[in-house]
Amino acid sequence: MKALSLSAINSSNPCLPKTHLLKVPIFHPFFKFKPFSYSHSALHGHGAKRAHTFPFTISCKLESSQDKKNKGKSVSQKIGGLSGVANMLRRKTLQILSNLLLAIGEMFAVASLMALVLALLGASLMACTYTTQLPLIKVSRRWSFLHSAEAIRKQEFSESLPRPSIQDVSTILMGAGYEVFLKGPSLYAFQGLAGRLAPVGVHIALLLIMAGGTLSACGSFRGSVTVPQGLNFVVYDVLAPSGFLSSPTDAFNTEIHVNKFYMDYYESGEVSQFHTDLSLRNMDGKETDWSISALQILKDNEGPYNLAMAPLQINGDKQLFGTYLPAGDINSPDVKGISMLARDLQSIVLYDKEGKFAGVTWPNSKLPINIDGSEIVIVDAIGSSGLDLKTDPGVPVVYAGFGALMITTCISYLSHSQIWALQDGTAVFIGVKTNRAKMEFPEEMNRLLDKVPEIVESSLPKQADSISG
Amino acid sequence: MVFASLEHILTHISFSVVSILISIHLITLLFVKEIIGLSDSSKKGMIITFFCITGLLVTRWVFSGHLPFSDLYESLIFLSWTFSIFYMVPYFKKSKNYYLNTIITPSVIFTQGFATSGLLTKMHESLILVPALQSHWLMMHVSMMILGYATLLCGSLLSVAILVITFQELIQIIGKSKNFYFLNESFSFAEIKYMNMTDKNNVLQKTSFLSYRNYYRSQFLQQLDRWGYRTISLGFIFLTIGIISGAVWANEAWGSYWNWDPKETWAFITWTIFAIYLHTRKNKKLEDLNSSIVASIGFLIIWVCYLGINLLGIGLHSYGSFTPN
Repeated sequence: MKALSLSAINSSNPCLPKTHLLKVPIFHPFFKFKPFSYSHSALHGHGAKRAHTFPFTISCKLESSQDKKNKGKSVSQKIGGLSGVANMLRRKTLQILSNLLLAIGEMFAVASLMALVLALLGASLMACTYTTQLPLIKVSRRWSFLHSAEAIRKQEFSESLPRPSIQDVSTILMGAGYEVFLKGPSLYAFQGLAGRLAPVGVHIALLLIMAGGTLSACGSFRGSVTVPQGLNFVVYDVLAPSGFLSSPTDAFNTEIHVNKFYMDYYESGEVSQFHTDLSLRNMDGKETDWSISALQILKDNEGPYNLAMAPLQINGDKQLFGTYLPAGDINSPDVKGISMLARDLQSIVLYDKEGKFAGVTWPNSKLPINIDGSEIVIVDAIGSSGLDLKTDPGVPVVYAGFGALMITTCISYLSHSQIWALQDGTAVFIGVKTNRAKMEFPEEMNRLLDKVPEIVESSLPKQADSISG
Repeated sequence: MVFASLEHILTHISFSVVSILISIHLITLLFVKEIIGLSDSSKKGMIITFFCITGLLVTRWVFSGHLPFSDLYESLIFLSWTFSIFYMVPYFKKSKNYYLNTIITPSVIFTQGFATSGLLTKMHESLILVPALQSHWLMMHVSMMILGYATLLCGSLLSVAILVITFQELIQIIGKSKNFYFLNESFSFAEIKYMNMTDKNNVLQKTSFLSYRNYYRSQFLQQLDRWGYRTISLGFIFLTIGIISGAVWANEAWGSYWNWDPKETWAFITWTIFAIYLHTRKNKKLEDLNSSIVASIGFLIIWVCYLGINLLGIGLHSYGSFTPN
């Protein structure tokens, strides 16, 4: 059979003309393809509310058309053997031209708006890190001992203790989890340095996310295809590059075979989830939507015949598919027949020549329905599975940025606390500073310093506690 | 029908109790008295409200078979439940947190009152999850987003309170400065205070010029400011995790981690506004008043992101829209 070749983007006819349903369909027996010897992987996809132009088949040859989001490109399907060398060369030439046109358009779009905004945000992040965060880190890492009581009193909170030993203060602080440095009469302690460093990590994570987003916009492939159950397609025919850095790999030569498409239902009859069983190699795919491709019927024990089903337009998100079996003289101007409607794969509603309701049946039911003197048996309802295919080199970079952003944002909540102490004669002056929990920290310090023992000597006068700040 | 009646009972009990709590809080605010009996009644009433909303959510979860996140009504009930949690946490820690309590109780009543109003009657029925929502990411993404919204709303309300008190204080200063020129005795009296306060505390040099009342007002503003900062920092973490888990889920369900959906865009705008707030906290010059203004803007942006986009019902996040499909 002749395979439809890939047409150009700016073809004059973006959508293929739909076959008129009133024409006489050619009834060919349905051929079941043998599954490939690749490893089976069942893909349980999640559907999303997206508008699709659904295909329909008259015979075993399938033609489909995409909506405007795919730039009116028609996709060819291979059935059976390989396509000719001439078709392959023509397809590759058109593919190169398509890549060129897409790259020019994509480059213009990126350069005009998105690259400008991303560059501004990246520059802002790096400027904030350079001008504000790095100087703060340098100040935080310096073990700056304070050598005068006046300097200690200028801290956010300060306190003086009568007659303690600065070694005891050091021991208490180490027990509370502080890093303590002691140098003669001076003491410096800090805790939670990660809370000071984490904002730099937040900015680095944001830069990672933006770099990954740019890589996704310039170097990925995307494509959509709706395949009836039992047929297959080549990945190369579906994917289209999204940027000038997109380069195909050997995996694009993989053929994907749709083994089985089925749906789960709630007890109320509504669709719960739909699944597609694919045979493929080195490819990742995702299911987007579904439709009904054909009904397989028996008429007066003859057949089976494949009747193509077309989507009907109704309000809301519900889907409805219909087909038509002509009866009587097909050459007369007044053609009549049996109509069949289906909302999903589990029930078929039939109407007779006069449009009256004739009955409801379901696939695999052996009981025939007598309509206008003919016995109709629904052998099977063949579903089509809508698949989205994508390769995106930016996803690992973006996910790394996501993980880093979550971790560093949580770490930023920690408080970086600094403590200076100075032994001046028999008194010890203590100054503390913190960057986050400025309300709970004085109480914590008071509870800590209450544990410091006091050296009792009867010959020295007692000094009163004084708290300022 | 049994579940519907149980839902009605639990809803009305929690709504009535919260109404009583509003009255109690208004009485305590107006009379500026710490009546111990009323305070205890307020706490017990809030506990009753918390358990009623918890029972409501658990009932709805059992009845529908999935987490109660499928539409806007369940989302709003969960939001009021999150506000109740913020009341319970300081209660168990036994830390005095009157400012948050005054803000949280009206938030619970407004959120739940809006959810149970006639505007959302059609949404009260529990819906079947559409195939796109059947994912383990539903719990992670939606709960983190609502936790983030609730926390940021509380922090923003604290900043709004700072603005109200500051502007009220400015009006009082202007009023007294006019009287100042006509009363020489007040001048000498205030000068004596000024000289006494200088030695002890340089920080309050500006505000101590008027009276001792301004000292407590300044302390009050400082505490509001610091509580708002901590609350918004925590909410920012929740919002970040919520947006990122939503991006991972979108990459799995819709093929791209960022689709520039209206809901996604406004969530990013909300995140940016509160990032600006956290950055203004780093600058000493902008710390007091300007950061409160930014947080107040963030308060409005959250409601645009949470409710405004749902009014339109467009985009990929149309599950929570007002118009039923």
